[in-house]
Amino acid sequence: MSKAISRRDFIKVTGAVGAAGLLAACGGNSGAASSTAPASSAAAASVEAVGGLSSDPVTLTMSWWGGESRHNAYQDAIKAFSAEHSNITVNPTFAAWSGWEDTMSTKFAGGVAEDVCQINWNWLYNYSKNGQTFVDLNSTTDYLDLSQWDEAQLAACNVANAQQCVPVSMTGRIFYWNMTTFNKAGITEVPKSLDDLMAAGKTFQEKLGDDYYPLHLGAYDRMILMVFYLESKYGKDWADPTTSTLNYTADEIAEGIDFIKSLVDGHVIMSLPTYYGSNGDNAAHQSTEWITGKLAGCFEWDSSATKYQDALDEENKPGFTVGEEIKFGDYNGGFSKVSMGLAITKTCEHPAEAATLINFLLNEEAGASIMGSECGIPASKAGLAAAQAAGAVKELVAEANGKVMAFVSNKLDPLFESNDLKANGTGVYQEVFDTVDYDNKSGADVVDILLDGMDAVGYTVE
Amino acid sequence: MGMKASNAIATFFKYFVLILVGLIMIYPLLWMISATFKDNSEIFAGIGLWIRNPTLEGYQNALNNFGGSINILQAMLNTYSYVLPKVICTVVSSCVAAYGFGRFDFPGRKILFSIMLATLFLPQVVLNVPQFLLYTKFGWVNSPFYLAIWVHTAFATETYFVYQLVQFMRNVPRDLDEAAAIDGCSSFQTLYKVIVPMLMPALVSCALFQFMWSCNDFMGPLLYVQTPAKYPMSLFVKLSMDGDTGFAWNRILALSLISILPQLIVFFCAQDQFVEGISAGAVKG
Repeated sequence: MSKAISRRDFIKVTGAVGAAGLLAACGGNSGAASSTAPASSAAAASVEAVGGLSSDPVTLTMSWWGGESRHNAYQDAIKAFSAEHSNITVNPTFAAWSGWEDTMSTKFAGGVAEDVCQINWNWLYNYSKNGQTFVDLNSTTDYLDLSQWDEAQLAACNVANAQQCVPVSMTGRIFYWNMTTFNKAGITEVPKSLDDLMAAGKTFQEKLGDDYYPLHLGAYDRMILMVFYLESKYGKDWADPTTSTLNYTADEIAEGIDFIKSLVDGHVIMSLPTYYGSNGDNAAHQSTEWITGKLAGCFEWDSSATKYQDALDEENKPGFTVGEEIKFGDYNGGFSKVSMGLAITKTCEHPAEAATLINFLLNEEAGASIMGSECGIPASKAGLAAAQAAGAVKELVAEANGKVMAFVSNKLDPLFESNDLKANGTGVYQEVFDTVDYDNKSGADVVDILLDGMDAVGYTVE
Repeated sequence: MGMKASNAIATFFKYFVLILVGLIMIYPLLWMISATFKDNSEIFAGIGLWIRNPTLEGYQNALNNFGGSINILQAMLNTYSYVLPKVICTVVSSCVAAYGFGRFDFPGRKILFSIMLATLFLPQVVLNVPQFLLYTKFGWVNSPFYLAIWVHTAFATETYFVYQLVQFMRNVPRDLDEAAAIDGCSSFQTLYKVIVPMLMPALVSCALFQFMWSCNDFMGPLLYVQTPAKYPMSLFVKLSMDGDTGFAWNRILALSLISILPQLIVFFCAQDQFVEGISAGAVKG
């Protein structure tokens, strides 16, 4: 995701985030480690409920990041909310993603973050590991209907035994194919198995030439697909979602890396040196090869569907197709994650009103129909129904999201997306797969680089 | 004749090299202008200037406002409403501070100067959190007058400029100060009647640098400006950049181009004065 790029762009990140983390660590009780208990109604009963709604004028602040259409959707929804609740004024602040985490971490550290914040999932662990930053939403159930989410989705946002946010949307990775190129190679069906994929690699090379590949995987994509492969082969999560204990042995991981290597050797994916040669570390949708159809597939987030489709030139655009998840072993494999959540900060003076606002945006028809799929396909059941009824859901993204959610079976741990691991250019994941391609190494040769890197960010590696 | 011919050849080569290097230097800017008329796939397809399918969408979309709260004109006004006080405060305060360090011998001068220089090596990231906490206490965060962004420059916090001006001041002979004193100038009169005119080129360059840095500053406004209607250009340009779902680059480039126009104009105007200042000083010795 391009989030990774923008993060790396700001060297400042390290400073601001580090400083904020330091303050956060000092403020909280670091001894009480992050043991996540599953959300349950029992937990709800044990939490003291927040005070009732005020009839006096109330001002809430809210923040989010995003692009133009999201800014507009949120603002329209807020207008609709204020029309319904005439005593509540909502003052928004918003910007693009780049620099946003620095800003928010500074505000969290200063205790002046907005009342309602759109947050990234791993912020729960980075800034509220002991529940010091966000309100336990179990205390607001009179105003926020938590039953609209699956237990598993809520559990993912339950950190330090507190429901610290509700998921706005869930996301996962899926294959997209450029069938215009596939048709040129004489293939009319999307690849549905590993054999299809390997056969496509061969056919592309024979019929279209060495420049054409059925799939493109950047370094981070390779890591995710490798985990996908291992999970579908062995049926266990990559790491424990709460303790981040790695569940795989070095031999198993080496096998996963060799699987990725076999895709390069089988002409299924372009080798990284070749890709960097003409594109540097730009994402695939900005590469000439993707735009003109020479790279005819990608493995991307469901929310990125339109980005990859829009990037294609006129000839290739009609061929863009959401593929099927591929089962590499006996299990389904793959993970979904909370792509973003809404949380109430502990400094908020009106949590009941804030919860009412969240409920309006995510669960109520009037709000959810305006929000549509601007923040991803709604995770709230009522919200999804309202957005679909209003025709405010991007079809392509909805199709991809539906396929991902129906398939994936594993959980993500919060350290997987650590910046030190996934960063473009400097991350450990990239180092591993660059080494494989540049030096023609096998999985066994490089697995220690990965394990050392994971150990350094806090994984328990056995 | 032979002299003339060789002169002509030399001139030709001089111009040839200058034009060639000049073109290479200005190419990115030209590309940026041409890219504002291209769509995404064409932008990433090559680095040529030729536009196959020209479109004005970039400029049309650049005029969009975001939920009615902010548009390009407002964003520009917002930018200059803190950049100007910032530039003025910086130049005045740095000049006064440099005068103090450069011309007066007071107890602790050396140690204070070293401390000030040491702050040169303090990176901004280290300051972000404490500064933010301080300004929060002052109630300056999200101030309608952008207090958190420019007020500190009134206290000569731009060490680099102070240092630069102290160095320049060394080249202004002390004899002039003494002459001014004999003519009855007070210390401050000496500063603005004698030294400031001599320092003009340095002051213009300080102002120029501060002007460009402030216009381009992104993290400052992102931290201290929270009301969308008060967003400056540097935030406005990026508002539509959504990494997840993608965005139209022609719009970003059109916005960037529009936003740097005033900067370019200021730069070219100031450049004349800059050169004039240098040559005037040179002739007088």
